Amino acid sequence: MPLDTHTPALSRRSLLGQLLLAGSAWAAPAAWAQNDRTARADGRLVLVFLRGAYDGLSALVPYADRDYYRLRPNIAIPAPDGSAQTALALDDTFALHPALSPLLPLWQQGVLAVLPAAGSPDPTRSHFDAQHHWEVGSPGKSSATQGWMNQLASLTAPRAGSGPDKPGALGVGEANPFILAGPAPVQRVPRGQAATQQGAMGNERTRDSVLKLYGGDDSLSQAFRAGAQSRAQTAQTLRENDMGTMGMMAGDRQEMMAANNGAPPARGLLLDAQYLGTLMRQNRRLRLGFLSAGGWDTHANQGAATGALANNLASLAQALVQLRQDFAQPNDVVVVCSEFGRTSAENGTRGTDHGHGNTLWLMGNKVQGGRWHGQWTGLAPGNLHEGRDLPVHHDFRGVLAQVLKASQGLDLAELEALFPGLAWDRALDGMMRTT
Amino acid sequence: MPLNFPPPESRLGRRQFVVGASLIGGFYAATPRAAWAQADYGSTHRLANPSLEQQWRVLSRLGYGPTPALLQSVQAADPLAWALSQIDVAHAASQGAAPIPAELQSMAAPLPELFDGVKREREARTSARALGKDTPPASAEEKEKAPRPYDFSAPAEAGYFTREQRQKAAAWQLTACSQPGLENPLLARLTEFWFNHFNVYAGKGAVGAYVGHYALQVARAHALGRFEDMLLASARHPAMLIYLDQAQSVAAGTPGPLGSTRGLNENYARELMELHTLGVNGGYTQADVRALARILTGWTLDPKHPSGFRFAPRNHDAGPKTLLGQPFGNRLSGGGEAEGLDALRLLARHPSTAQRICQRLAEFFVADQPPPALVQRLRQTFLASGGDMRLVMRSLVESPEFWNPDHRLFKTPLDFACSALAATQSTDDQRTWATTAGFLATAGQPLHGWQTPDGYQTDAATWLVPEALTRRVDFALRLGQGAPALDYLRPFLSAETQATLAQAPAGLRAGLLLASPDFMSK
Repeated sequence: MPLDTHTPALSRRSLLGQLLLAGSAWAAPAAWAQNDRTARADGRLVLVFLRGAYDGLSALVPYADRDYYRLRPNIAIPAPDGSAQTALALDDTFALHPALSPLLPLWQQGVLAVLPAAGSPDPTRSHFDAQHHWEVGSPGKSSATQGWMNQLASLTAPRAGSGPDKPGALGVGEANPFILAGPAPVQRVPRGQAATQQGAMGNERTRDSVLKLYGGDDSLSQAFRAGAQSRAQTAQTLRENDMGTMGMMAGDRQEMMAANNGAPPARGLLLDAQYLGTLMRQNRRLRLGFLSAGGWDTHANQGAATGALANNLASLAQALVQLRQDFAQPNDVVVVCSEFGRTSAENGTRGTDHGHGNTLWLMGNKVQGGRWHGQWTGLAPGNLHEGRDLPVHHDFRGVLAQVLKASQGLDLAELEALFPGLAWDRALDGMMRTT
Repeated sequence: MPLNFPPPESRLGRRQFVVGASLIGGFYAATPRAAWAQADYGSTHRLANPSLEQQWRVLSRLGYGPTPALLQSVQAADPLAWALSQIDVAHAASQGAAPIPAELQSMAAPLPELFDGVKREREARTSARALGKDTPPASAEEKEKAPRPYDFSAPAEAGYFTREQRQKAAAWQLTACSQPGLENPLLARLTEFWFNHFNVYAGKGAVGAYVGHYALQVARAHALGRFEDMLLASARHPAMLIYLDQAQSVAAGTPGPLGSTRGLNENYARELMELHTLGVNGGYTQADVRALARILTGWTLDPKHPSGFRFAPRNHDAGPKTLLGQPFGNRLSGGGEAEGLDALRLLARHPSTAQRICQRLAEFFVADQPPPALVQRLRQTFLASGGDMRLVMRSLVESPEFWNPDHRLFKTPLDFACSALAATQSTDDQRTWATTAGFLATAGQPLHGWQTPDGYQTDAATWLVPEALTRRVDFALRLGQGAPALDYLRPFLSAETQATLAQAPAGLRAGLLLASPDFMSK
């Protein structure tokens, strides 16, 4: 398969120059219309969704806040003292969970940043409603039937040289996440060994017979033929890159897939990230990637420096380090988010219940990393949402808009179409690098 | 539309195949979620003969598709009369023990025995670790790789108790859904529906040890009974008590070990209202979640009692609460365990609950977007009958909407697997169980394996995924190997499919039939 040799019409340097000249162009949307549409940023976006509401207050530890230790007598991550069982200081305010230590070099290199209190402004504490809001890009009730990454794919795919018929987005792991649902074609790859297998369609005689069954021009037949093509390409790409022997799942017997049945999904995330990186490296038309991991709904016995949550965080760190290897081009950005946060206080069973605001991570050369962004008002009782949860100081749509402007070159009109009701968050204007 | 693949005799390598495949790229599928399930998909692969359409519909929806015996039975009667009779047959069957094969029997063991198995599993692991021996792998992932998947010929080693119980529960579900001579197909269907409504995840802690018992004693036993009885059974079952942490939730400040204190956990109370009863817009607030969690404090596990449940008065929050505007925990309400019973009854009888249950039933049995008038009628039956699911199912089957051929349903992976197993009558061996469980895991619908309490979606928008369709073909062809020709299904196939099968190599025909577009809908 030939590699896509996409070359932007303008060099990156001159594009950046333009952006600099534009200055705070967002205040004057008209300025955006003058941008040369061929001079878009050519970055790739990978979104990692932690389903179940991960406990950001264990990942990014506000160790200087006395309320943190008051609210979490049994599950707080100990303040940094240099030992392995304590948090790793990032600055005078925050420290990293020790299980996230593989991320420390990325923080120090300035390519990893965090927002300590972001999320969806809708107050729901329902996982399923909140995830839906994130996936359609619209907090609150809506009749949307399209995921925002699917909509983004139809905006960005043509620039990457994809026709309307070639996928510009890739999802690895989940069967059919809503965020990718919609009319734009999307490549979906299952978790584990199955992705590397041609299956029965690898046999010509069988393939011929099966394709006759699906020879019609009805939508089911069309979907089938597209699926056959996509699967063959996926399996070939992964095999040629030796992915068939990588990862944590040995053997290629189909029954081994039953392993995923009970696998802590955060562990599967590393393999998903490897597949995603390989497939997006080999096919440069794929500009958008989606990964997810479950197992974050830690209502009981979540542990502290070690334990169930620490194990999940360690798996997440491994996956992010892997993603950094494959997504280190100038405009690539990786976003890590969750539907909402967890209660600032521990509950009665050494876990945490459903909260509101949460930490959101950004990784990439374009990210003003090595620091946190946005507002942080601590955990004092008067500063909590409904007296119990971190507030949402920054709407996730505002965060994503900053990212998409910088990495994908989206203009205001496009961003507003993607996120109805979006308000540009000027407080985050320094979050992405302009040089 | 012409195919661009070369004829089979030309020996092409994999690389060339991909090039060939790219020629059909113009048909890369769009998947607008809501649209698939509707006109787009429904306009094709429909049976022209109304009588055959009704047979396919009633057998595939109130069960897992035709077998020769089932076809004979439905053809001997009026389809509506047959469907209504199935409700009575399924209800009668639900009142007795499930006909579980001897090798799977231990999944239905009394709860104290299951608790004991979990205890011995922990001890085996602890002592193996203490001796520095090769410890049984700790993670679920490694556990699954351990020897003898789905081989129940010898008793499980103590260290693999949960895994074996879990695999037996999966094997029984595959047996129940595909052997209509053993388990009534409608009862198997309803067991699937109710398990999914009150979903538990077999991969969390010890839940897997109890998951088979839960499916039988909660979903199957109450499948056509009163909704509130099922709600109560699920609330008290160890699988649910563990899964949503209710077993640990106690009054704030309850003394714990070593001078610590324990307290409330909101998990079960929230999902009980959001998912099991009222629905997310059913009219409750965060304050109601707290109140319900406090009402239920003290509901916990009892490893010695046959029910697996006990109420621990010392852990109960006896203070006054208000749930949905009703006072609890004062002298009038009786207090203690009765508070929880009253709360469950209040929720079970709430109109929002009737709405939610009937909406889900109509989606499961009729259409991805069922007509509101149908849901309204079911809701009235639910409320008028005090949640008698036998009467609600009668309303559903008697509705013209159930029989309307415009109401299409696309098979979920589980539907597809069960109907293929039923059609080929090949289910009760280790290899088939393992293969099917593997297919379902890859397809995104592992048995008892959905992690979150919302259960699986059942609509085409979720499951009609281009690449996943090709994996159905793999599974179908594998099952079709050595299977009889399945001629009895021919009348249900389109002329195009029949012509393709006639041209195909004889050994492939059964598999291709199961892989055909005609076999993908119910």
